[in-house]
Amino acid sequence: MDGVIRILRRFVGSTILVSFLLLLFNLVLLGSLIFQENHKGPSPEAIVQKLANELVLQQGNYVLGHEGIQLLDTHQTWAMLMDRDGQVQWSERLPEDIPRSYDVTDVAKFSRYYLMEYPVYVWEREDGLLVLGYSKNTYGKYQIDFLVEWLRSLPVRILLLLLCNVALALLVSVLIGTRVIRGIRPLIHGIHALSKEEPVQVDTGGIFNDVSQSINSTSQMLQEKNDALKARDVARSNWIAGISHDIRTPLSMILGYASELEDQPELSAEHKQQAAIIRRQGERLRSLVSDLNLVSMLEYDMQPLQLKSIRLSALARQVVSDFLNNGLDESYDISLHVMDESLIVSGDERLLYRAITNLVQNSIRHNPDGCKIELKTGPADGVFYSFVVSDNGKGIPKEELKDVILLPYTSGRTRPNRQGHGLGLPMVERIAKAHQGELILESDRGEGLTAVVKLPASKVGE
Amino acid sequence: MDLIKNKKILIVDDEPEIREMIERFLRREGFFRIYTAGNFSNALSVCRSEKPDAAILDIMLPDGDGFSLLSSIRSFTDMPVLFLSARGEDEDRLLGLGLGADDYMVKPFLPRELILRLMAILKRVYASNIVERLPVFRLGALTVDLDSAVVLREHKEFSLTAKEHSILMKLYENQGRIVTSDALCQAVWGDEIYGYENTLMVHVRRIREKIEEDPSNPVYLLTVRGLGYKLMTQESR
Repeated sequence: MDGVIRILRRFVGSTILVSFLLLLFNLVLLGSLIFQENHKGPSPEAIVQKLANELVLQQGNYVLGHEGIQLLDTHQTWAMLMDRDGQVQWSERLPEDIPRSYDVTDVAKFSRYYLMEYPVYVWEREDGLLVLGYSKNTYGKYQIDFLVEWLRSLPVRILLLLLCNVALALLVSVLIGTRVIRGIRPLIHGIHALSKEEPVQVDTGGIFNDVSQSINSTSQMLQEKNDALKARDVARSNWIAGISHDIRTPLSMILGYASELEDQPELSAEHKQQAAIIRRQGERLRSLVSDLNLVSMLEYDMQPLQLKSIRLSALARQVVSDFLNNGLDESYDISLHVMDESLIVSGDERLLYRAITNLVQNSIRHNPDGCKIELKTGPADGVFYSFVVSDNGKGIPKEELKDVILLPYTSGRTRPNRQGHGLGLPMVERIAKAHQGELILESDRGEGLTAVVKLPASKVGE
Repeated sequence: MDLIKNKKILIVDDEPEIREMIERFLRREGFFRIYTAGNFSNALSVCRSEKPDAAILDIMLPDGDGFSLLSSIRSFTDMPVLFLSARGEDEDRLLGLGLGADDYMVKPFLPRELILRLMAILKRVYASNIVERLPVFRLGALTVDLDSAVVLREHKEFSLTAKEHSILMKLYENQGRIVTSDALCQAVWGDEIYGYENTLMVHVRRIREKIEEDPSNPVYLLTVRGLGYKLMTQESR
C-alpha cells in the first residue's frame, strides 16, 4: 500500500513539473514565435515620431529630411500634415483617394482606426497633426479599453490564473495517476504475494495484460513446485515412518526372545551373555529406529510442536537427576549451574528433554574414559536464552564441527560417521531449529565440546 | 496374587509370532487362560463369547484398527485394555488413551515391561475391592505410616502435616532416586510457579526433625545439591 502511494506521489510531482515546464516553454515560444513578426523593424509609433521630428518648415514650405524619405520608402507608407483646421498642408506619397480636408469627426474616426481602409498613425505637432498611413491590409488596428480597477487587479488575476493552472494540473495528474495505479495495484499486490509464496490470481486485461499473465503463471508455477516439494517430503517422511514401523515388529521378537533367554536359569553363563548382547544391540536398533523417525519428521516439518512454558532450570535438573538415577558411571562428573531460575522458554517439553539428553549422551558416548559434564542455563543475547552442555573430553576437530550436525549419508557430509549412529547432534540441531532457535558447537581436538542451544525466550504471560 | 493369574487375557495381534511370544511370556508368568485373535472380527467374537478380563490390543489389524475395536468392546464391557502398537506417535498414544485404554506401549518392547504393566492394570482394576491403603515403611528404627500420616519413633507418635505427607509420599514413590525440587513443588503445590524452593526446604527440615536421628546429618532424606532430594529406605539401599 505504501508503495502505491509513493508511486502516486512521484507521478503527481513529475506531472506538475512537466506542466510548469510546458507553461514556461509556451511563454517563451509565445514571445519568440508569435510576437516576433509583429513589427518588421521599428513600430509605426516610432516611425511617426521620427517623421514628425524630420519634417521641418523652411521658408513657408515643409521639407522632409532624407532619412524621413527613406523611412517612407522602406515601409511603403505615405504621410501628411494636417493643420488645426483640418486642411492638409503637406503630404508625401499620398494616395489619390485620400481626401485633402477633414473635420473633427473624421479625425476622431481615423485617428483610432483607419483612414479609407489605410491603417494610419498620428503624431501631434505644434502646427498640426502628422498622419502616417500604411498600405491597405498591412496592419490591424484594435481598440482595447481597460477599467482601471481591472488593470490594478491584473497581478492578482494572473496569480489566480496560475493557481488554477496548478490545480488543474494536480487534478488531472491525480486522476490519471489513480487510473494508472488502479491498473498497477493488483500487480504490486501480486508480486508481494509471490514473494510470500501465496497463490496469486491477478485480473488479466488492461494495459498490463502481459505482466499480469506472467505473474499468474509464475504463481502457478511456484505453487506447483511447492506442492511437488511438499508431496515429496511427505512421501519421504511416510517412507521412513513405514520402514520404522515395519522394523518394530521383528525387533519386538528379537528383543523379547533375547531377554527371555537372558533370564533362563538353565542356560550357561556364556549363552546368557550372548543373549544379553543380542538384547543390547536390539535396544540400540530400537533407539535408532525411533530417532530416525523423529529426525525425519523434524527434517520435513511433520512434527507439530506441543508448546508449553518450560523453565530451563527445571528441565536441567530433570535431565541431570535422570542420568544420576539411571546409574551414570562414576567416571562422569555431571554438574549443574543454574544462573537464573526464572528463564522460561516456550517449547515442546518432550523434544527439549530429548535434545538436552542427547547432548549429555553425546558427551558420554564420545568420552568412554570419563569426563566432566556441565549443564548451564543462562540468558544469551537479546530474545534468546541459552542452554549450555559442555564437557572437558577429547572434543571434535574444528574442521569437523560443521559435519556433525548434518544427517549421516547426506550429500553435504564429507567425513565418515563418527562412532554412534550419528543422529544425536543432527537431532538436537533440528529440535533447536523447530523452536526457532539454533545449536552452536564450539570445540577443537582435546578441548572438550561446548554445545549451546539457543531458544527464544518466552514472553511473560504466554 | 494368584487370583490375578486366574484372569482371562485376550491377545490381539495380526502377527502370529508376536501372539505366540506374548502368550509364552504370560504362561511363564503363571497366566493360563489366554485367548488370541488375529483380526478385528475374531477379537470381537472372542470378547463376546469368552468375556476376557483384560486385553492386549494391536492397533493395525487386517480388517480394522484397534481404536475402533476398543470402541466396540467398550459398548458392552469395561474390561481393561492395553494397547501394544508399532505406532508410537504422540497422537496415536493420546488417541488410544483418550478412548479409554489403560496403557499404551510401543513396539519393540521388553516382555518384562509388558508383564509389569499388565499386572499393574490388573491389580488396579481387580484388587480395588480391598481398601486401598497408603504405604507404611521403615526407616531404621522408626516407622513412617503414610496411611495415617504419622511417624512412629520409640513408641512416640509424630504426626505429619499435609505438606510433609505429600512430600514424603512423592519421595517414597521414587525411593532411592533423586526427585528434583521442581517435581516436589509440583507434587505439593501443584502448579508451575517457581519460588517454592525455600518453603520446600523448610518443610524438608521439619520432616527431618521427625525422621532423622540427627537432622543436621540426614541419612534417610538426603539433599542432592542443586537438584533435589532423595529418600533412602531399607529396600533402596
